[in-house]
Amino acid sequence: MLLEDKYYKVTDGKTDGPNGIFRIQLLPDSDVYRGHFPGNPVCPGVCNIEMIKECTARLTGKKLFISSIKQCRLTAIASPSVCPELDIRINAQPSDEGFSVSAKISDAEKVYMEYKGEMRVL
Amino acid sequence: MNYYCIENLIPQRAPIQMVDQLLEVEGRTAVTTFEIRSGNYFADEEGFMTEPGLIENIAQSASALAGYLSREAGEKETPVGYIGEIKNFHCYRCPHIGEKVQTSITLGEEVGGITLVNGEVHASGELLATTRMKIFISQNR
Repeated sequence: MLLEDKYYKVTDGKTDGPNGIFRIQLLPDSDVYRGHFPGNPVCPGVCNIEMIKECTARLTGKKLFISSIKQCRLTAIASPSVCPELDIRINAQPSDEGFSVSAKISDAEKVYMEYKGEMRVL
Repeated sequence: MNYYCIENLIPQRAPIQMVDQLLEVEGRTAVTTFEIRSGNYFADEEGFMTEPGLIENIAQSASALAGYLSREAGEKETPVGYIGEIKNFHCYRCPHIGEKVQTSITLGEEVGGITLVNGEVHASGELLATTRMKIFISQNR
């Protein structure tokens, strides 16, 4: 996993067939905040997309490739100080090439990302 | 066109700076270049820059053009862009370390701080990825 233990840490996970909920902790000392942005640490949206991919890989037990994203809405700005802990909810339905994935990143306060797309099994 | 160093066009810095140069600008379209170097933040153990790196490259290319237009309009600060939505992203192949990508982007009209972006990433004439995007560009952090 590319960003696990580098950008985030998984602290809990529950799976039930095609569904999974993972509790993650954002690592405030992650190197990425040196550059995004200097003096203003904000989660890069694309890192949260990678987190969804890695949690889906955990759920399905497969190595995955994001072949398409139908829609991904970034509904609030996330940062380790605003949302140190997040829940990633995933539904992964088997499809022709791999999985049709719907995911949501949220905490008790807000939804940060809503995601729908196809992932191919590598 | 006038040339600016990339640090004057986008606010992102290492390790997540994913554009090297703004190469061409014509109206609201532009081309950027980026070389995938070893140690790239999104490079996997096999030496490929994974899909989120391509999305970030497109977003920062749009941000570089927005930064260029704002410099040309006399602004002194680099605008900060946030991705609001990604739509119809397709990835055909990930570039590998040592490869140079060219990214073409087109900015739509800005409405209420939201700008529509169309982006395509090529390497050696081959289409690697394409997407539409909405970005929020703010002049103040």
